Amino acid sequence: MERPQNSVVRTPPNSTAVQRRSKSKSYRQSYRSCLGAASRLGLTPGLTARRLNSSRRALKSHIITEKVNPDHLALLVKREWRLSYITPLHQFRHTQLKRYSRQLSAFIAAEKQQGVAMEVEGSQSGFRVSFSVVQGLAATDDDAETVLIQPQIFSRPVFAKQDEPQKSVWSGWLTCINGNPEYLQSLPKGFTSLPLFGGSGAEVLTSLVKSWFQQTFDCCFGPLEINHTSLQWLAALWTNCHTESNLQHLKMIWTLPVVPPLQITYTVNPQDAWELWMSVRKDRLEKTEDEEEAGSIDIEEVMRFVQGLKSHFYRHFRLDLSAGNLNQVSTALGSAKFSGKIKISNSRYMITTLTLLTECALLKMPV
Amino acid sequence: MSLLKPFSKLPGLNTANILLVENEEQFQQSLADVLVEETSVTVTVRLAKTLPLPMENDESRPRIDLVVFIMNLSSELSFQSAEASLKYLDPGYFLGKVCFMVTNARNASVPTERLDAVRKLAASLHCPLLFAEDQTPDGATSATERLLTVLKVAAGLVPTTTALYLSNLTRCTLPPDIEQPSFD
Repeated sequence: MERPQNSVVRTPPNSTAVQRRSKSKSYRQSYRSCLGAASRLGLTPGLTARRLNSSRRALKSHIITEKVNPDHLALLVKREWRLSYITPLHQFRHTQLKRYSRQLSAFIAAEKQQGVAMEVEGSQSGFRVSFSVVQGLAATDDDAETVLIQPQIFSRPVFAKQDEPQKSVWSGWLTCINGNPEYLQSLPKGFTSLPLFGGSGAEVLTSLVKSWFQQTFDCCFGPLEINHTSLQWLAALWTNCHTESNLQHLKMIWTLPVVPPLQITYTVNPQDAWELWMSVRKDRLEKTEDEEEAGSIDIEEVMRFVQGLKSHFYRHFRLDLSAGNLNQVSTALGSAKFSGKIKISNSRYMITTLTLLTECALLKMPV
Repeated sequence: MSLLKPFSKLPGLNTANILLVENEEQFQQSLADVLVEETSVTVTVRLAKTLPLPMENDESRPRIDLVVFIMNLSSELSFQSAEASLKYLDPGYFLGKVCFMVTNARNASVPTERLDAVRKLAASLHCPLLFAEDQTPDGATSATERLLTVLKVAAGLVPTTTALYLSNLTRCTLPPDIEQPSFD
């Protein structure tokens, strides 16, 4: 099994040890032993954690249209993004975006023209790249670097009229939302960490953009799968928002390893899912009066929610879904696939969803 | 409850009996094929899907020296059924006569929490945790070699070494950071 390598720069172990002891006290309330083995999740003393959060703040509907340009938002939602992780970028400046966009357009044009001896048509491959910063999505004050950047590649068709809007053939973004503050502060000077990258459009262009980034900023890209636990988190977090915005359905796709492979689409009525979720959270909400505590969700509640769904399925079809894999979760608020594709349909919950994905990216990163 | 007891029967001469418990019933077959080829000791391999074992062959069953639980990490059901079977073992087995074997641990689709849960289970029971590769015949061969080492000690065929002593050396330990809280 692969473990993340500890890089050369480390936070001094003494201070982190002291920090962790005080942190562990706040988690004791949610400690519950499950199946004879403790269910707490932990962090390696390296720079990146090995496990996801065991408890998470509930999704709050952030009205982020005030802070964020609604055009940018409109571009982010309702598109399916393929995710990958990026290692920290060297010498990336937010002030140099114009220069980067020119360089990237030139790079893409050059790559496209490789192999063509003469320039046949004048501006046929009119790729124009624009980088822009999406202000307002930075979640914490600690990481001043948590900003979204968006290159969009437009292509001008050969016989376009002057006023025809340019069609965007590719777009992508890099982001870091609620990243681990210890990790971000321990990066050496000159490095910016934007661990999550999403791209949608032609695969050729995605690989061109990635290679440009690799050459310019000395970083590495890698595919990011949304693993089984994160998909369960997303299912629970989206169900939690049912009162505020209608889910319309909770659809899960499981694959069972039989011959031939069986794919099961399990659609749950949102009201029933909501009632099941509430019954799981009922004990938790009754015990704590504090508003803060009621806002956070534990991994055990998520597990129990999914276990409830699985046992209901078993009672009707005699098929135990634990033997299979959860491949896709989708609701009206968005859909997430195991292969790393995500679509957020509602801009209200973007921050929390992106937080979860940022954590996944930071976990998967080898540095 | 029909517990499987470790010392209720007499041992055979130069024999070792191993019980492979696996929910999917696949890897145990290939392991068994390689195990019986051992020549220095007479190895008897019993296969089971879960415990408890059926009462009917209780008389004819020899004394089981080593119980191996094989878990496929890509399915949660595998882990759950192995855990449920643990209840049917007499506590005497946990003094070095139980071993956990895990396959498919390098698969990217396996959530890390599952492997952690297996580790915690093995560590709490003081049992060794072995990783095996089930897709190639080489994987079965190397897993068999390691199992035979433990089996020979558990059957008492190695002088000056007992199962309890070996289990002290080979038992699964947890990394010290496994209980640390994670991101805030």
